[in-house]
Amino acid sequence: MAARTRLPLLFPKNLPPFRNQKLVHTEAAVKEPAYPPIVHSVTAKSKSALRQKALQHVQKICASPVEEKLSLVTRIQRKKFVVYPQSFARHADRWYQHFTKTAYIPGLPEKFTLPAGDESSPPAAVPGIEDDAFADLRSMVTRVILQEHWHIKKRKPFMYREQEQVVGPMLRNLVTGLTYSLAKHNPLFLLSSLDVNPQVNFYWRRGERIIPRGHRRGRLEPTRFQIDDHPHSQIRITQQLPQFTPLEASYAAEVPEITTAPNMMPLFRRQYDNNIFTGAKLPDPACYGHTQFHLVPDRYHRDRMARRQESDQVEVFLRANGLASLFAWTGAQAMYQGFWNHEDVTRPFVSQAVITDGQFFSFFCYQLNTVALSVETDANNPRKNLLWGTESLRLYEGVKDGEVVGLNDGVIKLLVQFLMNQP
Amino acid sequence: MILTLGNPQLRIFRPNWFLTLVRPGREQPPDTAQFRIPMEMTKYDVKNYLEKIYNVPVGAVRTRIQFGSNKKRNHLNQKVKQPDYKVAYVQLAQGQTFTFPDIYPEKDQVVAEGSMEEMQEKFMEDEKQRQKLDPRRGGVTEWFGL
Repeated sequence: MAARTRLPLLFPKNLPPFRNQKLVHTEAAVKEPAYPPIVHSVTAKSKSALRQKALQHVQKICASPVEEKLSLVTRIQRKKFVVYPQSFARHADRWYQHFTKTAYIPGLPEKFTLPAGDESSPPAAVPGIEDDAFADLRSMVTRVILQEHWHIKKRKPFMYREQEQVVGPMLRNLVTGLTYSLAKHNPLFLLSSLDVNPQVNFYWRRGERIIPRGHRRGRLEPTRFQIDDHPHSQIRITQQLPQFTPLEASYAAEVPEITTAPNMMPLFRRQYDNNIFTGAKLPDPACYGHTQFHLVPDRYHRDRMARRQESDQVEVFLRANGLASLFAWTGAQAMYQGFWNHEDVTRPFVSQAVITDGQFFSFFCYQLNTVALSVETDANNPRKNLLWGTESLRLYEGVKDGEVVGLNDGVIKLLVQFLMNQP
Repeated sequence: MILTLGNPQLRIFRPNWFLTLVRPGREQPPDTAQFRIPMEMTKYDVKNYLEKIYNVPVGAVRTRIQFGSNKKRNHLNQKVKQPDYKVAYVQLAQGQTFTFPDIYPEKDQVVAEGSMEEMQEKFMEDEKQRQKLDPRRGGVTEWFGL
């Protein structure tokens, strides 16, 4: 450059200010673009026009408030796979993991202490609960169990209605009793809402397929899924629970990949209203989830499955149930905050669930790290959702002569720890 | 056999039923095998059949009836019915997998010396060689030039 600039013969003493614009600590003046950006036209009959239309639709959804976002995302009705959380299909949990991009981690996060198998050492006290309070809770649990199984004079429950008629009221009493007793230890519960038999719905898109027959043959179509879940009860709170692990920790997790179509699971398609619902409408202040309680369906019998040598499917069923229900709930919570497929969550959403059939309790924790599950957004998305779960733990052995035999303190402690989870 | 209420459970000791293992038309998960079964069999029959006679651990069985088409017509314009058949999708237990084997693999043709096939192949190769252009022209056509 120096060779090209012609210096005057008489070198002036006051040099003009720096002519070289490429200095580090000065910035070139930012020029406002004089014309709007050139985009592909929307009205032409071309592939770029289709892409532009899709892009403009996405931008429109991003720019609108939350209610409009929800209604725009769930507006068009098309055939979709209806995912039932309580499914008797074999290996249902692997399929559901693939649909929701979830990795399963056996055991619970470090916050919770699992009750050890058959150790005789007394369980360590729950932080925040003294022994007297724990003894009160223990007596309340025995009272609830005895009420349903011993004190009430009941006829034998109708066929396949035992869960609804016996375990349902017991769980309701247990949940209400526990939340009431723990309200003084956990200030969240003072402003929380306990729903009885709520509805939780979620709608999302995951993979793609080429339409084999019909007037749209040969075109790509995203596979749509819908979960309609009816948990027994759930607790919704006003603040969000803290995350179990940071987002980056989920990058290393493994999600099973399944190449066959969801039809083979077996899973069936239907077309009806796409719903996204946490259990309460949008303006409700208690929009974050805390714990869900699920009852096992009446046709699920461990002993029958053991007789048919299907003992491994017992745990598979519970895991699939926890996974689907919690994914639907956390996903709906995230949508209520305005995060959707193209706007991924900035903070992880966390919820817990307890699935029980009266005697056996299984505990699940779910961390939603990503909602971007459709093909275009999932291409470079290293985040995965995480599910922690336990095997089913027995709460009590039986009821004899007005006494509960073999009450497992570890399970009660774990229940209490679950409910005491607060930010 | 299906249990009807009031009647004792019928048991068959030497069934006259035969299952046909077929290649699935659509891609199935690795633990699923597809059978064509007689119309009178039920899911429980299939499960017991495979477990007791063939010692195959069966997890779940799903069945459907395939309608054979009645659309084709013969030279007398009468409708010709293709028979209906029942298909069973059997999911194997204990983590076993099954893929339908390749029954008609392609054999590499090894032509015997001095036989008709070898002469025919040589002749076909010569013909193809004649149709090709002169390699010295470097892909240019023969439309122009001398």
